[in-house]
Amino acid sequence: MSNKLSLLAFTIFILLLYVGLDNNSRLVHSPLIDKKLPEFNLPILQSESQAKISTFPDDTFLLNVWASWCIECIREHQVLNLVVNDEKVRLIGINYKDSEADAVGWLNIYGNPYEYNIFDKDGELGIDLGVYGVPETFLVDKNKVIRAKYIGVISEDIYYNEILPTIEKIKDDY
Amino acid sequence: MITKRYLILFLFFTLSSNSYGDNIKNEKLYNKIITELRCMVCQNQNIAESEAPLAVDLRNKVKTMITNGHDERYIKQYMADRYSDFILYDPPFRIQNLLLWIGPFLFLLILTMLLFRKNLSK
Repeated sequence: MSNKLSLLAFTIFILLLYVGLDNNSRLVHSPLIDKKLPEFNLPILQSESQAKISTFPDDTFLLNVWASWCIECIREHQVLNLVVNDEKVRLIGINYKDSEADAVGWLNIYGNPYEYNIFDKDGELGIDLGVYGVPETFLVDKNKVIRAKYIGVISEDIYYNEILPTIEKIKDDY
Repeated sequence: MITKRYLILFLFFTLSSNSYGDNIKNEKLYNKIITELRCMVCQNQNIAESEAPLAVDLRNKVKTMITNGHDERYIKQYMADRYSDFILYDPPFRIQNLLLWIGPFLFLLILTMLLFRKNLSK
């Protein structure tokens, strides 16, 4: 009897460790999902005008946080350049904790898939959005409610198999 | 005239000591809060220890909020609202993290029971 119990305890313990293997503590579930985007007032890169929550399109869009100092962003950028060609999603950037010259130079080198870029020099919007690792991407619906958050590089696989289906589903809700 | 001077001197000391006292209180609160917030970039450090850019930003944010008169609860809630409970080293008791809180005690209980049974059967 006791043997069986020990075996059970052991199995549970191993199962716990096994589940722990898959548990990526780097991916923190954002408490901002299903919440409205925060208010902000920041300059737009390469433009004289200011970005506010009201300047966002009345449509589902992706809000991509990037920086010229972010090496992984280069990899993601290739995917973003590709997927905007489909015109199935609108893309707006947040240039996070960057210098204007570096950011503009980076866009000149790697291409600019963004409708516009919010220039968050001091990372204040970043804090309000709970950004802790660039790149991060928010999927926002036309009511400016955050529907999903993707931490890390968006690959073609993630875009076509996760993001695009979610966008279609959100559009069906309207 | 003399009394006026003394009054000014008196006010100078009382007012400055008051703000000094406030500063010490605020600094204690600041040091307490930043040791209880996790650095999201380097997860096994708090934002007091970490020099990651985000930790520096969050330290400044805490400082500003304290200067603006916000209390510990407000500041921690502010951080948790943006970065989830994971940022708190002392997460609130919830259904979702029930196992986290009672897990160790449960484990101890089960282990004790097992050992007792084993001893009894001998």
